[in-house]
Amino acid sequence: MAGGGAAARAQLALRRGRRCLSPARKRLKPLRTVVAWRGRAEWDQVMVGLYCGDSRLQQEALDRVSAWKSRYGPKMPLAVDCTAELIRCKVLDSSGRLKSHELILSYGLALVRFVNLITERKQKMVSIPLRQLAREVDIPIWVVDLRHELTHGKLPRLALCRKGCDVVLDWLRKTYWSRQLGNNLCEESEDEEEEQEGAEGNAELDNDTWEIRTPQHEACQKHKEFHEKVRDVLISYKNEQFRVMQTVQSVSKSRELWSDSSSEVDWILAQIKDLMQENRETVAEALLSDGFLIPKMDCLKMLNIKYEANKEVWQFRIPQTFYCFWQPLLTGLLSRSFTQILIEKMFMELKECSDSSELRPQFLINWISEMLTGIAKINAGKKRQHCNKQVSVKELFLHKVPLQWIRLTDNCLEAPCWATPHLLQLILTIMRPRLPRSSRKNLLYLASVYTEGGGPLSSPGLSSDCSEQPIYTIESLQWRARQENQVKNQGQTVEKQEDVLERDDGVEEVEEEEEEMVTETNPLEGLAHSGNMVAIAEKRAALQGSAWQITADEVRWKDFPLGKLPGQTDDPDGLMLDNYSMMSLLDQPVGDEWKSPNTK
Amino acid sequence: MPARRGPPARRPRRAPSRGGRAEAAWREFAASFARAGMVPPAEAGLAAVEAAEGAAVLLLAPRQTLTFTGKCRLRCLYGAVRLLGFAVASHQPALPVFSPATHCALTLEALPADRPPAADLRQLRAAARAAMRAHSVRRQARVKVMARFSAECALVLLEHLDTPVTRFLLSHLPLSRLFEPQKKEEPSFTPEDAVLASVGIVKCSPDRGLLVSESMFLALEELIQACCAEDEGVPVVLVCGPKNTGKSTFNRYLINLLLNRLPSVEYMECDIGQTEFTPPGCVSLSNIAEPILGPPFTHQQTPRKMVYYGQTSCEQDTERYLDVVKYVFSSYKKEVPLVINTMGWVKGEGLLLLIDIVRLLSPSHIVQMDVYDWKAMAPLTPEYVHLTPGLYTKGKQQAKCKRMGTSGAENWKSSEGEGDALAPEYKLLYIHPEFPRAGVAGEARVHSGILRDMSILGYLGQLQSPDIGAVLPLHSLVPYQVPFSAVALRVIHTDVAPTNIMYAVNASWVGLCRIPDEIRCQTDGPVLLTQTPVCDCLGFGIVRGVEMEKKLYHVLTPVPPENLRLVNCLLLGNIAIPNCVLVGQQGVEGEIPYVTSDYNYSILGSGKLKKKKHFKRREYAFECDYT
Repeated sequence: MAGGGAAARAQLALRRGRRCLSPARKRLKPLRTVVAWRGRAEWDQVMVGLYCGDSRLQQEALDRVSAWKSRYGPKMPLAVDCTAELIRCKVLDSSGRLKSHELILSYGLALVRFVNLITERKQKMVSIPLRQLAREVDIPIWVVDLRHELTHGKLPRLALCRKGCDVVLDWLRKTYWSRQLGNNLCEESEDEEEEQEGAEGNAELDNDTWEIRTPQHEACQKHKEFHEKVRDVLISYKNEQFRVMQTVQSVSKSRELWSDSSSEVDWILAQIKDLMQENRETVAEALLSDGFLIPKMDCLKMLNIKYEANKEVWQFRIPQTFYCFWQPLLTGLLSRSFTQILIEKMFMELKECSDSSELRPQFLINWISEMLTGIAKINAGKKRQHCNKQVSVKELFLHKVPLQWIRLTDNCLEAPCWATPHLLQLILTIMRPRLPRSSRKNLLYLASVYTEGGGPLSSPGLSSDCSEQPIYTIESLQWRARQENQVKNQGQTVEKQEDVLERDDGVEEVEEEEEEMVTETNPLEGLAHSGNMVAIAEKRAALQGSAWQITADEVRWKDFPLGKLPGQTDDPDGLMLDNYSMMSLLDQPVGDEWKSPNTK
Repeated sequence: MPARRGPPARRPRRAPSRGGRAEAAWREFAASFARAGMVPPAEAGLAAVEAAEGAAVLLLAPRQTLTFTGKCRLRCLYGAVRLLGFAVASHQPALPVFSPATHCALTLEALPADRPPAADLRQLRAAARAAMRAHSVRRQARVKVMARFSAECALVLLEHLDTPVTRFLLSHLPLSRLFEPQKKEEPSFTPEDAVLASVGIVKCSPDRGLLVSESMFLALEELIQACCAEDEGVPVVLVCGPKNTGKSTFNRYLINLLLNRLPSVEYMECDIGQTEFTPPGCVSLSNIAEPILGPPFTHQQTPRKMVYYGQTSCEQDTERYLDVVKYVFSSYKKEVPLVINTMGWVKGEGLLLLIDIVRLLSPSHIVQMDVYDWKAMAPLTPEYVHLTPGLYTKGKQQAKCKRMGTSGAENWKSSEGEGDALAPEYKLLYIHPEFPRAGVAGEARVHSGILRDMSILGYLGQLQSPDIGAVLPLHSLVPYQVPFSAVALRVIHTDVAPTNIMYAVNASWVGLCRIPDEIRCQTDGPVLLTQTPVCDCLGFGIVRGVEMEKKLYHVLTPVPPENLRLVNCLLLGNIAIPNCVLVGQQGVEGEIPYVTSDYNYSILGSGKLKKKKHFKRREYAFECDYT
C-alpha cells in the first residue's frame, strides 16, 4: 500500500468495521426510497459543487441543499446537513465579510454539531465516551478535543478551526458522499467527469486525482510501477485462496470457504480498492493480464478444472470452481463504474486476442457472459438463485448496475467473434432504455449473419460478408445502434421513418410486432378518458375566468411520473429561477418585529 | 381486565365472561348445528346468513355484541344496534363502517328497540320479513333468519364495501392488508365466519374493541347531559392528555353519542400531528353530522375553517400555532356543542402551551385523560390553571405578562381584568384509560407517521372517480394549471434560497390557501411571500410539475373548482407526499424523480437527526419504507 502509515491503517480498520454490516445488508432487497434530489445528476452536481473550492459554486450548491432541506423536512440526512453547515462557514470565511472572532464562532458551532450529531448516532443505551465513539468512526481525536475546547474551554484559534473544518469535510466526503448512491468506493471524482462532461466545477477536483499532468515518460514509468503494485496484490489474493484450498482436501469444501470472506481477503480487497482510487483502468488491465481472471493452464490444473478445447462445452459459463475462486474479489470490486470499465476492457481484449492462445478468448467471452447474466438478474430484481444443487454460488453483484449500454453495444460489435450474437443478445436484453424490438431483432440477425461460418474468431474481414448484406457492415451496425437510440429519444415520429426504411429490407412482420408494443396501453386509460371527459368539461366550465385552468394539452400523463412534465429534461439546473418577486403581507397577526427576519 | 361498558343511558354492567368450559360447550353446540346443516350460531343468539352475493344478514339477541375488523356497509333491518356509541335503527340509511387492524376495533351491539308496546309478534315478524325482502335477501336466508327471530332481537344487513377511497388506499403496497385481520384469532373457522368474511369482516376478541372504563363512562354521562340540557349555554369540551391515551377514540365515541341526540356537533382539531378530518398539519373546525365509524383516513371532509400550520408538531413556532388556533376558533359560532382535541405534547412547554389554550378557548369542560399516576401532567383544575403561568399568558400571581409584547396574543386576555383575574370556570373530568399499554410512549399500534400518511392517502383518494372500478394512479390524472404570477408561494418550515424554490415545490404537498391580499408581482415570475400568513386553507394538492418556460404550476387536487378558483397562495410545509405514492408509480418512462434504490442508509450520516430518547422498539404493524 502506498502510504502504509497509521492513517491508511486506520482507514482500513474503518472499512472493516463497515464490512461487518454487509451480511445483513446483503440479504435485504435494495430498498426504493424517496430522496430530495430529482436524480443522480442533481446529487452529483451538489456534491461536486460543495467540494469544488469555488465559493460561487459552493453557494449555488448550498442553495440547492436548502431546497433539499425543505423536501426532507426532519428527515434530512445528517451528513448533508453537517457538510452544508461547514461549507457555509468556508464560504463566509472566503467572502471576507466576517472578522476572525465571528468566524471562530461559526466554525465552532458547525464543528461541535458535526461531532455531536455524528457520534450520537452511534450512542447506545449505556453512554459511551465521545473519544471512543470518534475513534470507532475514524474521526481524528484532535477534532474531538477541538469540540471540547469549543464548548468547555478557551476558544481556539481561527487557523485550528479552519483546519478542523477541512479535516471534517474530508471525512464527510470519504465516509458519506463518496460511498453513497451506489458508489461503494471512493472513486467518484473521476467517474462524474466522464458522465457529465462540461459540468462546471469539476476542474477543481482534478488535483486529487491520479492524472496529474506530468511528462509522458514519467507517467509511463508510474503506470508500470502501479501495474506491478496491483499485480502484487492480486497475487497475494491468489495465494490466499490457494492457501485456503490447501487447508481442506476437497474442492467443493474450499468453494464454501472462499465464499465466506475472511479478514485476510478483506484486507486484500481493501488494498485493491485503495489502488482503484488511484486508477481503475490499470486495475482492470491487471485483472485481465495472464494468470488472474484469464488463467494459465497450471492454475486450472491446480483447481482441478479440465480444460475443454471445444468452445461450446462450457456454455458461456466460467467453470464453477474458478468462478468461486474469484467471486469474493469481484463482488467487492464491481461497482457501477468499475463494471463498465472491466467489461469494456474485456471486449477490447477480445478484439485483440483473435490469434492468441485459446484460453484467453474463451475466458473473456465466458466472463462477459457471466457478468452480464449477473447484471440481468440483479437489475431485474430477481432473487439470487442457487445455480447448483450442491453449492450455492454467490452472485457477483449486490446492487443494480446501470451501465452505459450503448457504449457496451459498440464495444461488443467492435470485437466480433463466434459468441457475438449471444453477448449482443444479453446486452440488448438488459439494456435500459431498450431499443425498439425491431431494431433489436435486426441487430441480432445481422450480427449472426456476420459472424456465421467464420472461424472461432474470424478477423473482421468486411469483404466476404458484404456480398450478402451490402448495406450492413460492422460500422453500419454501430451506426445503427446509435441511431436507434436517438430515435428512441426523439419519439415515435422518427421511428416511423425508420420503419419505412426497413420496409425495403423486407422485415414487415417484425415491424408489426413493434407497432403493437408501442401502442400497448393500459386498458384503463380509455375508460379514464371517456369517463372523465364530462367531469373535466364541467370543471373547466366552473373555472371560467379564473387563473386556475385544466391543462388543455393532449398529454399522456400516465407516462410522466410526479415531478416530471413532458419535455422536461434531467438537467439538474432545469428548475432554477432567474426572476421572482417578493411580497410582504400587511394584515397578518404575525408581526415582523418578533419574527425571525427571513428576508431582507 | 377492564370492564366494558354498555350505553351510558343505563347502568354499566360487566360483560358476561363465560368460563372456558361454557365456551367449549357452545362450540360443540355450534358444531352440532353445522352438522345438521342448520344456521350455525357461534354464540348464543348470534347468527349470520348469506343474504346475497357479498351480503349477509346478522341476527343479534338483545345486548349481544360482535367486535370485528374489516369494512362493510351496515344497514339495520329490524330493531336497533349501536356502533361506537352511535345508535342505528331501521329507518336509517346504510352506513359505511371501517374497522382496520391499525385502530381500535368496532363493536356492534344490539339494543333493545323502542317499539309500540302493544305490537304483536306476528306484525313484527312481518315487518322484519318485509325489510329483508326490500333489500333482496334471498328467500332461503329469510327462512333461516326468521327461524331464530324474536321480538327483541336486531337484524342487520352487512354488505361488501368498496369505495374509491378504500380502493386507492389498498392499492399502495404498505397498506394493502389494512383491513385484513393481523392474525387468525380464532383457531376454528366456522361457517358463520365464512359468511362474515364474504362481506369483508372478521370477528375478533371483544377486548380489541373500545374498553370503556368507569371514569370514562361517568365523564360521558356528564357531557351528554350538559350538551342536551336546554337551559345552560352550549358546552365547549376540551379533551387533553398525553399521547396514546385514547383521546381520538374517546372523541369519536363522544361525538357519536351526541349525534344520537343532536343533529350536529362541531369539532375543532388542535392536534396538528394526528388530525381527524383533514390531512395532517392543520388546525381546523368541522361540523359533524355523520357518525364517525372508522379512522381518519375514511372520513376526510372539508372543514368549515382550516389553517395549514405546515408541521406535525408546533415546538418550532408556538406563537404562530396560538395565532392559528385563535384564528380558527374565532369562526366558532357557539350554536352547537364543540369538542376540542388537543396535542399529546403535555410536558414542559407543551403543558404551558396547553394552559394558554385553555385560557384562550375558555372551555366549559375539560376532559383530561391520563394514566393513574399523573406523572405525565398535573391535574388541570381551574385553580391550577388560574395560578399557573402559560407559555405566553401569565398566572394570577404574576404582575404582567412579560413574554408577550406582541399584538397577536394580547387581545385574548381581554376578559380577564388586570390583577384580579377570575378563575376560569370549567368542570374538570378525569378519565383513566384502562386499555392495555395505555399511555405508554411509543407503544401505539401504528407509527404516527404512517397514520399521517394514511390520512393523506385518504384525502387523495377523493381524486378517484367514483364510477370506475379500478384505481387510477395519481400521475395519470389530468392536473390543474395556474400561472406563477397568480398564486403566492411560501415555504413554511425552512428557508429556501429563492432561486431554488422550485426544487422544493416540485412534486411536493402544498396547502391551497387564500390570502386576503391581492397578489402583486412585478414580473411574470413566482411571487414569494416574506412571511407565513395565517390564512384560510381550502384544501391540499400535489404539485405535479413545474413548467419553467410557460411559468405554470401543475397541481393535482380534489378541491372542487368553485373553491379552487379562490386559491391564491400555496403553502409548503414539512408534510411530505407519502413515500409509497412516489415509489409505487407504475408504467412511467425512465427513472422516477426523487426515487432511488441506490441510497444506502447503512452509511454513517445517511439517516436523519434523531432525538436522544430511549424508548423501546415499537412493533410496526404496517411498515412503510421509512428508515
